[in-house]
Amino acid sequence: MKRRKFLKSLLALLGSTTLVSFAYPLVRFIAPPSKKAEVKRLSLSKGDIPAGEAREVVFNNTPAIVINRPGKGYIALSKVCTHLGCLVEFNKEKARLICPCHAGEFSLDGKVLSGPPPKPLTEFPLRVEGESIIIG
Amino acid sequence: MWRRIKKGLEVRIGLEDLVNTKLKRYTVPRNTNIFYTLGGVALAAFIIQALTGFFLLIYYVPHSDHAFRSVQQIMTSVPFGWLFRLMHVVGANLIVAVVFLHMLSVFFMGSYKKPRELTWIAGWLMLLVVLTFSLSGNLLPWSQLSYWTTTVVTAMPTAFPYVGDYIANVLRGGEFVSGVTLNRFFALHVALLPPVFVLFLVVHIFLIRRIGLSSPPFGEQTAGSGEWNEYRHVSYPDGYSFYPYFVLKELYMVLAYLVVMFFVITFVPTLFLPQGANIPADPLKTPAYIKPQWYFLAPYQMLKLIPNKFLGISIQLLLLAMFILWPFFDTGRERNILKRPLLLVAFLASLLLWIVLTVWGRTS
Repeated sequence: MKRRKFLKSLLALLGSTTLVSFAYPLVRFIAPPSKKAEVKRLSLSKGDIPAGEAREVVFNNTPAIVINRPGKGYIALSKVCTHLGCLVEFNKEKARLICPCHAGEFSLDGKVLSGPPPKPLTEFPLRVEGESIIIG
Repeated sequence: MWRRIKKGLEVRIGLEDLVNTKLKRYTVPRNTNIFYTLGGVALAAFIIQALTGFFLLIYYVPHSDHAFRSVQQIMTSVPFGWLFRLMHVVGANLIVAVVFLHMLSVFFMGSYKKPRELTWIAGWLMLLVVLTFSLSGNLLPWSQLSYWTTTVVTAMPTAFPYVGDYIANVLRGGEFVSGVTLNRFFALHVALLPPVFVLFLVVHIFLIRRIGLSSPPFGEQTAGSGEWNEYRHVSYPDGYSFYPYFVLKELYMVLAYLVVMFFVITFVPTLFLPQGANIPADPLKTPAYIKPQWYFLAPYQMLKLIPNKFLGISIQLLLLAMFILWPFFDTGRERNILKRPLLLVAFLASLLLWIVLTVWGRTS
C-alpha cells in the first residue's frame, strides 16, 4: 500500500471512530430519561363528584378527569388530547370533553366524536369501594 | 485620527484596493428594485435580534420557577427593559415577514433558477432556522401562551408511527413540556441556532457573490440569460456600484424597517403579545384562546380542517419539501412569471389560500 493511500485510510478510520464514539454519548445525553412505571393510586370520595359532574385530578403525573356519568357510573380519563397534547375541558351542558386547541370533541366515555383526534382519550382503571373511588 | 487609522489599515491590508474591488467595482443591475434590498434588511433584522437578545440574557433566568418573573421584571423594573424586550418580540415577528417577502420576490422574479438553486435552498434553510428561533424563543417567557403553543408544536412528531413519540420526548425531555424543555429550548435558542444561522448566511452570501446577482426578468435582459453549462460570474459592466449606491438603498430600507418596528412598539405594543402572554404557565389548564403566531396560523388552520393527524402533518411537510426543492422541478429557462400564466395563477392562488387560512385561523 502506498504511503498516501495508507494515510487516507488511517484518517478515514480515525475520523469515523471519533464520530461514532462521540455520536453514541450524544444520543444518550439528549435522550429523555427513561419513564419510570408509576403505580400510585388515587382515592376520592364519591360525595365529591355528584351525578353529571366531574373532578380534575393529577394521576401519575398526568392531568386526568373523573366523571360521574348519569346512569353509567364513574370513569377516569386522561385530559391529554390525543391530537396534539392540549388538555380537554369538561363541558357539562354538551356532556362532552372539548379540546380548546383544535376543536376535537370526545364523549364522556372518551370516544372521539368530532375533530382531528386520532384515538380515544386514555382511560385509567377505576373501581368503587364503599364510599371511595380508587383510580389505579 | 480617522486619516491615521485609514492609512494604517491601507499599509497593512490594502484597504482602498479591498473597497474598490469588493464594493465599488462590484456592480448590481441598473433595474434592481426595492425587493432586492430585503435580504440586507433581513440581515439587519437578525443583527438587531442578536443584540437585543444579548441584552435580555443579562436579566433573564432560564428556570421554570423564575423565567416568567424575570421577564416581568425586565418589562417593569429594569430601566428600558421593556424597550429591548419589545424590540426583540416585535423584531421576531417582523424578521419572518421580511424573509417571507424576500422569498416571495425571489420566486416572483424567477431568481431561484439555474445556477442559483443552492442560493434558494440556503435561503430556505435560513427561514427554517428563523422559524425554529421563533418556536424556541416562544417558550422562554414561560407564559400560558408559551407553554401551550410549545405543547402543540412538540406533539407534532407523534403523528408519525414508531419514532414519533421518541422524537417528541427528546424535544421535550420527557412526556410533557416542563422545566427540562425550557432548558433545552434555551440552549437551542442562544447557543446552537445563532451559529447555524450564521453558517447558512455565509453560504448564502458566498453564493450570491460567487455567481453574481440576478437581474429582474422584466424589461431588458442584461446578463445571466442563455444556456448555463459551465461556471461563469454574472457581472453588470453598465450597472451601478454596490457601494455607495446599493448600500444606501439598503440603508434606506433598513430605516423603513426600524420605522415599522418603532411604530408597533409605540402605538400597538401588545400586537404580538396577546392574551396568555402575560399569564404564568399552568400545566394543568389549557386556555381557550391559545393561537400560534400569525405566520403559523395557516398550518394551524390546516391541521384543524384535515381530520387525520398523520395526513395533516405529512401534507405540510410535503408542501415544505416541494417549495425547498422547487428549482429542481421548475427547470425551464423562462424567468418572467408574467409569460407563464399557469405558474402565475398557481402562485397567486397559493398566496390567496395562505391568506385565507391565516385569517380563518385567527378568527375561528
